[in-house]
Amino acid sequence: MALIRVDDVGKSFPGRHGTITIMQEISFEVKDADFLAIVGPSGCGKSTLLRLIQGLDRPTSGSISFRGTPVTTVCPQMAMVFQSFALYPWLTVAQNVAFGLEALEWPKEKIDAQVERYVSVTGLDGFQEAYPRELSGGMRQRVGLARALAVEPAVLLMDEPFSALDALTAESLREEILQLWGDPALPPEAVVLVTHNIEEAIQLADRVIVMSRRPSHVLEEVVVDLPRPRDRKSDAFYALTDRVYSLITEGGGPTAGPAEPKPSPPQV
Amino acid sequence: MRLAAAGGASVAERPGPALEFPSPARTIALYAALPLVASAVGLLALGGTAVGVARFLPLAVVDVSLSFLRMTAAYAASLGFALAYGYYAATHRTGERVMIPILDVLQSVPILGFFPVAIYFFVDLTPAVHWLGPNLASVFLIFTSMAWNMVFGVYESLKTLPAELKEASDAFGLKGGLRFRRVLFPATVNRLVYNSVLSWTGGWFFLVEAEIFTTNTSPLAGIGSYLSFAASTGNLDKFLAGVIVLAIVIALLDFLLWRPLGRYAERFRYDTSPSGEGEVVAPVRETGGRFRRAAAYVTRGVRTSVSLISTPLVQLASITVRPVRKPTEFQRSVFYYLALGAILVVVWLMMIAITVSVFRIFTGPISSSVRHQILLLPLAMGASTARIAVAYLICLAVALPLAILVARGPRASRVGLPIIEVVASFPATALFPVIVFELIPYIGPEGAAILMLLTGMIWYLFFNLLAGVRSLAPDLEEAARSFGLGRRQFFRRVLFPGLFPALVTGSITAFGGGWNTLIVAEYLNVGSVHTLSVLGIGQQIDIGYAEAGGLPLMVAALFTLVATVLVINELLWKPMYRRAAERFRYD
Repeated sequence: MALIRVDDVGKSFPGRHGTITIMQEISFEVKDADFLAIVGPSGCGKSTLLRLIQGLDRPTSGSISFRGTPVTTVCPQMAMVFQSFALYPWLTVAQNVAFGLEALEWPKEKIDAQVERYVSVTGLDGFQEAYPRELSGGMRQRVGLARALAVEPAVLLMDEPFSALDALTAESLREEILQLWGDPALPPEAVVLVTHNIEEAIQLADRVIVMSRRPSHVLEEVVVDLPRPRDRKSDAFYALTDRVYSLITEGGGPTAGPAEPKPSPPQV
Repeated sequence: MRLAAAGGASVAERPGPALEFPSPARTIALYAALPLVASAVGLLALGGTAVGVARFLPLAVVDVSLSFLRMTAAYAASLGFALAYGYYAATHRTGERVMIPILDVLQSVPILGFFPVAIYFFVDLTPAVHWLGPNLASVFLIFTSMAWNMVFGVYESLKTLPAELKEASDAFGLKGGLRFRRVLFPATVNRLVYNSVLSWTGGWFFLVEAEIFTTNTSPLAGIGSYLSFAASTGNLDKFLAGVIVLAIVIALLDFLLWRPLGRYAERFRYDTSPSGEGEVVAPVRETGGRFRRAAAYVTRGVRTSVSLISTPLVQLASITVRPVRKPTEFQRSVFYYLALGAILVVVWLMMIAITVSVFRIFTGPISSSVRHQILLLPLAMGASTARIAVAYLICLAVALPLAILVARGPRASRVGLPIIEVVASFPATALFPVIVFELIPYIGPEGAAILMLLTGMIWYLFFNLLAGVRSLAPDLEEAARSFGLGRRQFFRRVLFPGLFPALVTGSITAFGGGWNTLIVAEYLNVGSVHTLSVLGIGQQIDIGYAEAGGLPLMVAALFTLVATVLVINELLWKPMYRRAAERFRYD
């Protein structure tokens, strides 16, 4: 059974001159052990979609279900990593990591042990008592990651987690995420990553959902069947990136069909 | 598997201890020296004697303690009120539509004018316990000077809480008490601490008045009445002893409470500013239930009634003075102010007509002397407005250079700022008797009134401008330097435009302070010999309060004053504020 099922979802907002449709007819599934990436041009509603999945917002039409149950309120089995980290400046690293656990009303000792574990897993040892403003961007996002992992979610949702970081930090954090993902002892059964970075999507994900411009719909689901670790300089990797790139730049009108025949990727 | 420990990531700074006191010795010396120097100057200049002063110190300590208790009670009430009111207004759309405009009005009307009414109310409320009524009244009056800006602090910090922080707390399922403790309350701490300092400053200012006013009905021991009696009986030693103790308490509070708290509260500021892809932001929904709409109508109604009076007048003014050529900016602004003046006069006449007819209907004829005074009201209001304008210009001329100097010179900031802070929080009202006593022979009653107004206005302007200079984005300054802008050009092209929003906010609050100070600055009895009385709306309110059968005068004067404040807010400050927000904001 699918872990998450997004079924014919649409989202629109009332605007000054009638309704603004952000997305329509979005359908896909997140399976067990799936690393799914959602890519699309700016403003196509990728982040909105992620929020709909967790239940932070409700779709205008269609439905989303988690393990067969419709998502109507915030789903506690999912945890989000935010683009802007969304760390609370008045809480220490340890308190930020404990944030979700307190909401789950875990007993104190259990929270402490869990915080200790995930602080260490994410390489934050020794920074428990630091405040977010004392950390670099990369370290801050580790706290964001630790906070999400600590609640042991079934699905980890990541909203552009690397785009506020510099290129080098982002690259090393991506690799560490992959190592984490490869560890069966660690929680998420599936990851949904929203990004506008095509290379990042192909480097990390098993499947890439490509979305069109607004009002957006799913252009295509690209399967990335490259063995990990993936060599970004390989022809196969390049061919995939190029395919997704052309999908985004060419496809996009509201009624455009799923995929027009693509010109064969140029050889490097 | 573990992530590699902090390989590429670096730590900006190790966490320090929670509270730091940079060079405590120097600061203590500074704070100790300040009241001592001040009192020495006072002794020498005014001819007090050290022995005499020492004799009154115990009494002064007792009275300051009593006043401090009142301040603390009022502050506790303000804090609770601010959290409840601000939280509710920020989280309930329906409430917000009514509560915020109400607060807007409450904040801008001169509360001092309502003192007499409040005193009657509280004294009548508790006739059985004779000391309770006056005390409740004075605590309430201090409360009115503390609460509003704290409410705004809570409301604004909750409204400006970054969306992702709210979202993260939803995403992790925080609810109720935990949500309040972990997210909402901490979000307000920074502003609350900052605004608390302002509230205490305002509180001391009002405390003196609250106790003096209250003592008209029944004696209320406290530093306010102490100073007032000392001044009115011409007892200089007693007066100086009170000033010294009060200055010490204020300096201690600043040093032991507000400065450490201020440093601590820094942590609660959210300054992570990620640069990201612009996602579609959901437009604010304008739909809502019946109640929400009803609430919107009420507030709109209030606003419409103001503009109903003003809009035709503005149009009339612009028709009659429409020139053949396109008016220059200067001409336009002159017409605008003329129109504003015309509107004010009409509003004043309306207020007077309404009050007089209401009193005629319900309480019978008004005595001829009071009627005569009421007819003077437009003139009085005009005089007060002019007085405030003059005081404001003087304030600006002093506060602007001072703020630039203090903000931009590290030495001026280190040494000057603590002094200015203590001086600013010392209640100038306590010195008013002395101003009347000593200075009228030199500067005349008009000068004394303007000087007193100054003390009630200047700090609002100064601290807003100071914050403005400090928050000027460093890259703007750097850019100016890299393009080789000269000093004069830097001031003209960078500093002044950058300061404009702070100037507008500071002006609004300074005028607010000014309207309040009018009540005491235009009419002051010190003992039986020295009386200050200059034609103005504050004077009329006081006369109406003091004179038998003067109630219609007091009410008419109050209405005139409130209407003036509202019209000026609506037609002068708000448009300017919007312009500042649109054109001069940098983010």
